[in-house]
Amino acid sequence: MTAVAAERSGTEPQPVTGRKVLVAEDSPITHDLLKLLLNQRGHTVDIATDGRQALEALRTNDYDVALLDFHLPHMDGVQIANAIKQDTHGHKLPRLIAITADVEGLLSHAEGCENFDNIIPKPLDIYQVGKLVEEQAAIGDEVRAAEEASPAPRLAVETKGARAPASFFERLGYQFLVWPDDLEATRLSARAMQATLGDPRFDGILIKKPVSADDLATLWQRKALYVLPVVDLTGTLGVKADLDGSKLNAQDTDQIAQVLRRFQDQRARLNRDLLYSEVLSEQLVGRVFISGQPLTAALDPTSPTSVSYNTTMSGILVAREAETLCEQGLFKREFFDRFYVCGRCDSTRMHVREECFKCRSADLVEEPYLHHFKCAYQGPESQFRRGDELICPKCRRELTHFGFDYDRPGLMMVCGACGHAASDPAIGFVCLDCGAHADSDSCRTRDVYSYQLTEQGTGFAEYGRAFLGQASQALRFTELPIELVVALNAAAKRFNEEKVPFTLVNIFYENEREITAEHGARQFAQARELFLENMRANLSKADMVVEGQSYDFALFRDIGPEHARADFDSLCKDAQSTVRFDLGAKLKAFGPEDFS
Amino acid sequence: MWQLISDGLNFLTAQSSVSFLSLFWFVLVFEIPRYLMGFISVAVLSVRTSKAPGPVDVGRVSAVIAGHNEEDSIERCVVSLREQSRPPDEIIVVSDGSTDRMPEKLRELLASGRIQEAHCTQMRAGKSAGFNLGAGRATGDIIVNVDSDCTFDRNAIREIVRPFTDPLMAGVAGNIVVRNPNVSVITSCQAIEYMISISQGKQAANLIEQMTCVSGAFGAFRRVALERVGGLDAGGGEDLDVTLKLRTAGWKAFFAPDAICYTEVPTTIEALTRQRFRWERDAIRLRYRKHRDLLNPFSTRFDFIELLHELDFITFNIVAAAAFPFYLIWLFVTYGDFAPLILMAAQIGMWGLDGVTFLLAAWMVPKANALALVPYLPAYSPFYGLLMRFIRLAAYIQEWVFRASYRDTYVPQKVHNVRK
Repeated sequence: MTAVAAERSGTEPQPVTGRKVLVAEDSPITHDLLKLLLNQRGHTVDIATDGRQALEALRTNDYDVALLDFHLPHMDGVQIANAIKQDTHGHKLPRLIAITADVEGLLSHAEGCENFDNIIPKPLDIYQVGKLVEEQAAIGDEVRAAEEASPAPRLAVETKGARAPASFFERLGYQFLVWPDDLEATRLSARAMQATLGDPRFDGILIKKPVSADDLATLWQRKALYVLPVVDLTGTLGVKADLDGSKLNAQDTDQIAQVLRRFQDQRARLNRDLLYSEVLSEQLVGRVFISGQPLTAALDPTSPTSVSYNTTMSGILVAREAETLCEQGLFKREFFDRFYVCGRCDSTRMHVREECFKCRSADLVEEPYLHHFKCAYQGPESQFRRGDELICPKCRRELTHFGFDYDRPGLMMVCGACGHAASDPAIGFVCLDCGAHADSDSCRTRDVYSYQLTEQGTGFAEYGRAFLGQASQALRFTELPIELVVALNAAAKRFNEEKVPFTLVNIFYENEREITAEHGARQFAQARELFLENMRANLSKADMVVEGQSYDFALFRDIGPEHARADFDSLCKDAQSTVRFDLGAKLKAFGPEDFS
Repeated sequence: MWQLISDGLNFLTAQSSVSFLSLFWFVLVFEIPRYLMGFISVAVLSVRTSKAPGPVDVGRVSAVIAGHNEEDSIERCVVSLREQSRPPDEIIVVSDGSTDRMPEKLRELLASGRIQEAHCTQMRAGKSAGFNLGAGRATGDIIVNVDSDCTFDRNAIREIVRPFTDPLMAGVAGNIVVRNPNVSVITSCQAIEYMISISQGKQAANLIEQMTCVSGAFGAFRRVALERVGGLDAGGGEDLDVTLKLRTAGWKAFFAPDAICYTEVPTTIEALTRQRFRWERDAIRLRYRKHRDLLNPFSTRFDFIELLHELDFITFNIVAAAAFPFYLIWLFVTYGDFAPLILMAAQIGMWGLDGVTFLLAAWMVPKANALALVPYLPAYSPFYGLLMRFIRLAAYIQEWVFRASYRDTYVPQKVHNVRK
């Protein structure tokens, strides 16, 4: 193995550090943040603040990845991408990632956005950026390795394979993501990337080639894809699909429209927390909310658990996540069925059979007992049988008169393997997956449930994490506004170097739901704004109050959380004083040690 | 009453030997030999105490339990068998047309491996047919026939199979002890009766090889022998029947005093009367109908050894029962008002003899807890001497005249209809 190969093989599980990255971004806050972030992960970052600078840099240096803002002075991201793709001036072609808050603008750009390998939406998810840069760099390595191995490789990379023939669905004027064209386990198309941003123009996912639930795991690993209805043209997904397209034809447009509209409507009501969540349990809540259907268990012989649900998540995962949600009170369950479970491999595909109590053979033959009244001999019929006559083996008399000479008081099961006999058989199980045997007494059982949203669950879907209250959620960095992350980084640096403490305050409004329900979202937003304004006025210049999505935040410099907490009551009271509604603001403090 | 007893005692001691004979001839003929036999057997047994300790190898042992509606007792019985010092190698249970939860109970026992085979029929066939079904499935060299309401002393199986070291031994009777002596005077008297009958009857019978009943509650058979005589036959009294069949086929039967089995006896006089009527009727039917050739000197089955127990039965059961009323009439006609006094005198004498017999029996069957039974000893003589004798007499007449044993519910009517 060469040194290069060894290094490459090492890149798979562990991202290689020391990538060279170009950031083309005109906002100083954003490029500072990106530089800080990528430097921390061991990459070298060059900054370009306008389009020409960026293209210049790309044509004079070798970069692994370029992050290009869509809106740049002189030249926008799409133009840069097209230019560099056409002519690299002999330099390496980096992986191109678009950064934009205007995904729609990017996608509808006249010159097309297909030259981008990926898109990062704004506001930035700082974790996603690091991960994506490393992923794309690794893909770039592979593409180059492939090019070296075979000349004229670009076609192979770009070609999406033979496209499946278009079905009437695609002519109905809906926007579908298509499996496998748009959604592959390793790579999403630009359209699919756009869908992960929660673009409301997508109507659904069209399955054109047979897939399994495992193949569709991508839908749950990315953001916002799981909310799309799955239309299965192949019929292989069965109940897992939202619409079985294999049974529909062009006359069923009403039904199709109905399903897709229902999903659209519900999607609009789904809270952003859930739409963009990458947590399976939250996605599951969102899914049930959007589909408007309970998670209904159905028998499925292809699943090792014998059950699948009406969603593309595998039955095992659904059951695991749904049970957690039941504990949290977001789901309630309804008994579906009880399965016998293989003790060795946990499969429920058990072959049930009548078998011998002694040797467990299934080779049982039913034989009647015969009772000869006169001499009290009682035994299996075969002992009496002599051709078509019945002769008592004890007294040699012929049995002629049923009910007067003899009768048949019962049946016995005789084992062909060991000769054991009993009046009824034992019940046993053989696992179809691993062949293990179990008696009915020793075989474990597993109860399977269907699930539906509780009121609490519906509330969570509509109002997001804030609905569950502050205490139930740990601080999520992905929710923090960018300027706060930058400030927080600076404060953390000061803490590390000079031991100056700081406090991040999370502000949560307990009465948000009531106020929104009663007076509308606008009134609440105004009240919330006023509250924050009041708070800013009461704090010193060094402190910072930032508006977030579900929560708002404040950063106190020079003071630790234990001291900050002492002022919370008066702080709240003052901020609340001129606000029309009682917002029920609750403050929670996080100190430096919470960020370690 | 006390006056009568003291008068009776005075009367008894005042008799000369001649007048004693002429007054108490009945007692002398029908009672004294009974006691004598007991004393002799105890004396002989106390001399030859050749009790071989430890287990013996007689091959595989199967226990067969056939029962009808025994859901309450079957598990206790099985547990008791599994607790043996020498547990049976297999336990086969037959639920004979049970309509209670016995089949479910058997399923549980089978699934948990505590019994090896279970057979449940939907129509009752009777104890004989039930046992035959189980015995036909048994694989043991020795088959132990057990009633499901029995429980066992820990060494019961070990002791009941011990005599099978004799290759001619075909049937061994267990020693049945009453489990519920404290329920009523009736059960206490039966406890004493069972105890005394062992020292007086079965032990003595053992000595002269006259054991004629391998009891259905707890008995063991050599399978080869049982097969050769065709197992149990239809009808009640199958235990006496099969023993007679085995004996006349040349096999030996024996009584094992240390193979102790506990059973419940009827608690009311009505239930007891019904039970004894059945037993006595079956004895008459079997001895004088089915096996009457044993008394025919020209029959091939005739044997002087068998004649011994036949004569014993005729004398001490039939004639004694039949003669008793005549004795009473004779007494009252001859002595008028003196008769009760004479009877009391006879009773006093028998109390004395019973006391001695009881002590001997208690010494021989230590498990019977004799001390607790002492207070009931005075009730025992009238119970056994008067009540049982009248029951016997009535049963004999009923059977001879009306063939009542053909209507016993112990056997299903469909079987009565066709059997001999």
